[in-house]
Amino acid sequence: MLVNQFLILGAVLFCTGVYGVLARRNAVMVLMSIELMLNAVNINLLTFGLVVGSISGQVFALFTIAIAAAEVGVGLALVLLIYRNRSNIDVEELDLMHG
Amino acid sequence: MTLAAVLGAFSRPAVDWHALAPEVVLLGAILVIIILDVIDEERFRTFIPTVAGFGLLGALVPVLTLAVDGTDRSLFGDAYAVDNAALVLKALFLIAGYVVVLISIDYIRDGDYYENEYYSLMLSSLLGMLLMASARDLIAMFVALELLSIPAYMLAAWRKGSQKSNEAGIKYYLMGVFASAVMLYGMSLVFGLSGSTNFTAIRDALGGSGDPIPLMTIGILFVLLGFAFKVSAVPFHTWAPDTYEGAPTPVTAFLAVASKAAGFVALLQLVFVAFVGRDDVVQPLFWILATLTMTIGNLLALRQENIVRMLAYSGVAQAGFMLVPFAVSTDSGAVAFQAVVIYLIIYAFMNLGAFSVVMAVARKTGSGQISSYGGLFSYAPGLAAAMTVFLSSLAGIPPLGGWFAKFVVFRAALDAGNISGAILAVVIAVNSVLAFGYYGRVMKEMWMNPVPDGDETPVRVTPSIALATSLTLVATIAFGVFPQIVARFGELSSQLAL
Amino acid sequence: MSDLLRSYLTIAIFSGAAIFMAGMMLGIARVLRPRHPNREKLIAYESGVDPVGGEWVQSQVRYYIFAVLFVLFDVEAVFLFPWAVRLETYGGFGLVEMIVFIGILALGLAYAWRKGVLRWS
Repeated sequence: MLVNQFLILGAVLFCTGVYGVLARRNAVMVLMSIELMLNAVNINLLTFGLVVGSISGQVFALFTIAIAAAEVGVGLALVLLIYRNRSNIDVEELDLMHG
Repeated sequence: MTLAAVLGAFSRPAVDWHALAPEVVLLGAILVIIILDVIDEERFRTFIPTVAGFGLLGALVPVLTLAVDGTDRSLFGDAYAVDNAALVLKALFLIAGYVVVLISIDYIRDGDYYENEYYSLMLSSLLGMLLMASARDLIAMFVALELLSIPAYMLAAWRKGSQKSNEAGIKYYLMGVFASAVMLYGMSLVFGLSGSTNFTAIRDALGGSGDPIPLMTIGILFVLLGFAFKVSAVPFHTWAPDTYEGAPTPVTAFLAVASKAAGFVALLQLVFVAFVGRDDVVQPLFWILATLTMTIGNLLALRQENIVRMLAYSGVAQAGFMLVPFAVSTDSGAVAFQAVVIYLIIYAFMNLGAFSVVMAVARKTGSGQISSYGGLFSYAPGLAAAMTVFLSSLAGIPPLGGWFAKFVVFRAALDAGNISGAILAVVIAVNSVLAFGYYGRVMKEMWMNPVPDGDETPVRVTPSIALATSLTLVATIAFGVFPQIVARFGELSSQLAL
Repeated sequence: MSDLLRSYLTIAIFSGAAIFMAGMMLGIARVLRPRHPNREKLIAYESGVDPVGGEWVQSQVRYYIFAVLFVLFDVEAVFLFPWAVRLETYGGFGLVEMIVFIGILALGLAYAWRKGVLRWS
């Protein structure tokens, strides 16, 4: 079975997501990168679930999907709030507080 | 293998409703709040905080009956355990939640924003914490973590019109979601390589002979680092001061105490149960995290001018003390486990107390600057005395609670009986002295300095804040004078876990 | 060849056939049809009326709230689906569990409706 290939796909997706979170400045793009990371996790979970022969992998993936949707709902609401108050969503410019 | 074969025949699971009663009561309170809000927002407005408060106290009743009953219960295929450890922590979360509701009432009523949602969100987050205390499985732990985090992101951004609050919310959100994605990737590796999501099964899989799998090490590191974000361990603490400063002060108290405690509860299960066979990874990691967190948290706290920011960095340093027992998790065993639980309980009360005084003073001065505490003793002696007790306790001066907390952590470090434990003990001692610097500064402001603009009108303390302050004050002093009370909770909680 | 690869082979053959058919039809049409472009023909088609503004428009921010509500309720279906597939096996117990679950979801919808989120104004 193609276990390694799926795990490598998962790892590549995860790393792309991490790069996106660290390098992107637009908050929506950061959110999309985080989604990419979560989907990498789903690929891993399903692959491992198949290897291990346990239903837990699939159940875990279902919960990840549902919770990722809730996270993104809250995240978009926060981004919209920021946009309404400052009319841009550049995460680097969020520096009202420091020290 | 087909799906049906994996599933097997379905039999109706036996649900132990008594064991689930605290969660069910809390869920009921949340639903009642939302239903009242849907029926008539205006009419029930004054009634909602009462429902929230009684919901929390009501959930405490089954926790007590379960504690009296004393049998360890395990539900849902061992994914959910109701034992002494879970009950002690559940009681802690519920009481901390109750104190936070008390200090929130006036703040939220006088603000301009929705208030019914505030209580349903806070109770949802607390429900997540109750689940976290019982979670003995990766899936249950993940769901609990998200249930407690997602409402907290919204609470941090509560003041919708304030750019600072927006910024607090989005920073907390981005860091939190990124951390949980990293943690989840680690969980997927741990699940795949151990073949199970259950903590005891993972422990058994890890304990087997044979060379450790490198990928497993990465999985364990990712899971633990994900929670290091949650407890704001250096170098993953950068979100904490900004979020604490920008969020509404009662929410900050909630995040600094309850949310951080939930992260430690998860770490307790992971380090002392699931990953116990890999102490070659876990102990050095926490040794580094604890040393960095204590030292850097204290150094940064020394230069803060804003009291909430100072408490945020002091909270980072306190988290460092709580990380110490994890660095000697297998060397000291049960002593280390107890040290974390004892520290968590005492920290919750003294820190909530400090925040409730900050709330009371901010209602008069409207400022968060440390200089605004000048001469507090001359016009509000009660508050100044209470604040002195809380700050001395945080600094670890006997005979207050914080002293005993520092002592058990110190004992756990020395109990390891090796060089790394001894070095940690020295770091603890040095940092305890460093901490006097900034706690002492606030005390000096209150007792010796003049009132900044000569405004000596007394502070009007509302009944709910007064109740919160006295509750936490009594607990802080009692835990210091009679440490055996809290030590007993520590012992109880470590019976089953080890 | 493994089962997994074989099932993907079917997909590959299907996509190959689809690309070939569509490409062939469009290619033949391109060879046969007359070509007389003018300005009228090149503007974007907007139901037969003259287009207003550019083709790069931002959608109304009000759509966002509907989109988020849709995504949330849509994703909850992942929990309904496994239950629906084995409806009979789970019997009355599963039904009651699902009614509680849907009841809480419905309360969320009622909340959104009561707060005026569903109103377009």
